[in-house]
Amino acid sequence: MESFVKFTNQSQGRDRIFRTTQYACALVKYLLRNNSARKELVVKLQSLESNMSSGRKLFRLGNTVNSIDAAKRTLQLSDPVLRLCLTVANINRALYFICDNVLWARNVGLVPGIDKERWSLNASCCYFMSLVMSLTRDVYVITQTMVQRTRERQFQEKMDQHLNDNPDVATVIVPQLDAFLFLLFQSLKSHPSVTLDTLKNICDIFIPLDRLGVYRSNPGVVGFCGLISSLLGIVSVLHPSLKIQP
Amino acid sequence: MDSWVRFSSQSQAKERVFRAAQYACTLLGYTLQQGGSGVQLLKMVKQLETHMSLTRKLMRLGNSAEAVEAAKRAVHLSDSVLRLCLTVAHLNKAMYFACDNVLWAGKVGLLPKLDQDKWSQRSFRYYLFALMLNLTRDAYEIRLLMEREARTSHGGSNATWTSSPSPENGDLSHPHPSSSSFPVAILPLLSERFGRQFHLLGTVLRSNPPLLLDLLKNACDVFIPLDRLGIYPTGQGFVGACGLASSVLSILTIVHPWLKLKP
Repeated sequence: MESFVKFTNQSQGRDRIFRTTQYACALVKYLLRNNSARKELVVKLQSLESNMSSGRKLFRLGNTVNSIDAAKRTLQLSDPVLRLCLTVANINRALYFICDNVLWARNVGLVPGIDKERWSLNASCCYFMSLVMSLTRDVYVITQTMVQRTRERQFQEKMDQHLNDNPDVATVIVPQLDAFLFLLFQSLKSHPSVTLDTLKNICDIFIPLDRLGVYRSNPGVVGFCGLISSLLGIVSVLHPSLKIQP
Repeated sequence: MDSWVRFSSQSQAKERVFRAAQYACTLLGYTLQQGGSGVQLLKMVKQLETHMSLTRKLMRLGNSAEAVEAAKRAVHLSDSVLRLCLTVAHLNKAMYFACDNVLWAGKVGLLPKLDQDKWSQRSFRYYLFALMLNLTRDAYEIRLLMEREARTSHGGSNATWTSSPSPENGDLSHPHPSSSSFPVAILPLLSERFGRQFHLLGTVLRSNPPLLLDLLKNACDVFIPLDRLGIYPTGQGFVGACGLASSVLSILTIVHPWLKLKP
């Protein structure tokens, strides 16, 4: 129970739990959409989902400042690629939170004259941009790790052993692909925090892609991706060593 | 900005800000109603208040566990009165949170057949009992500190203790008055005694800001369940003002952790 208390004491911890519940509701709602016997349950899930969503919007009210502060910190990074990617990602997150706050004010009734659809699209656009920059950073870090690995003698020996051990037809025909994949998986295994962050961003990106109409999936896919990314987020809060740095 | 980031990363801190905003809406709604403002504005303020209340209920969903943990810690205190007061207060808060969670489920639609009034009354009863125990703890601490203060000032003015009673001595253990003036001098004597007690109370509270803050906070908070349970109805305006004041005081204890009463 003590770990639960410590976890939920962090503002982010609770938000992740509610996000998980929100997307779990969306997923189950989609799965039960054609089940006429469970209509009441679907209504309850819809109510729970919208309640969590609006509650989370209220609690996000101060997050623009947090993102700007994070952007200021990432501006001090030494690596220029990381500096660019993370600063732009944080600025986009700040813009996303501003749009989100405006949407909250509209939902509550403080500013009734706002075009909800336009601001919602703006928010999705900013969120999408921040995810793209985060993924770019992930790819850059993975590439760096892979390049570093190829230079290691120990790794080269491991690679040779792997290629000799598997005399399958496919690996013989496309040895470069097999070597590349082996290198990739080894790099990912040695940096679990990067792997987690990459998976999280990949899952997350389906949400704005669907919302913006770039890649229309369905509410079920959106719910599933959101659920997976929220669970991965909970893991990174529970085990701070799995949180990507910087 | 750094301080805001640190502040908002604590789950409790943001919740307090929204509590302050919620009770500010209550107070604002009452003021607007008295001032005869438009229905639309009143509706918006009421809607905002309800939204904040429901969201705060959502954010409180794990707090029963926290209160039980706090009760487990309070069981190990050395002072028996503190141990009793704090443990029972935390357990009551845990029950309050449990009822609050059930209320949230009812309001959200998970339990549509829930008797919301009954559970609301139940939760306020637990809350009131927890507050009364906190106030008892405050009174006990004040009493201890007043006795200690009286002893130190008694020891300081030991040379003049046996002289005729005078307010400057500041001691409580006053020798019995001379028998000839007993029936006549009792009223000014009592007022003098109360004056000294109040002076002592003032000294103790001034030198212990955490205790003063906790006392004021609990005193403000207690009017909320008293009004909601119908024991001492004060009206929306007063409840809003008390809630706002106690929220601001608790934000102060978060911003300045040395102001938080320990344990």
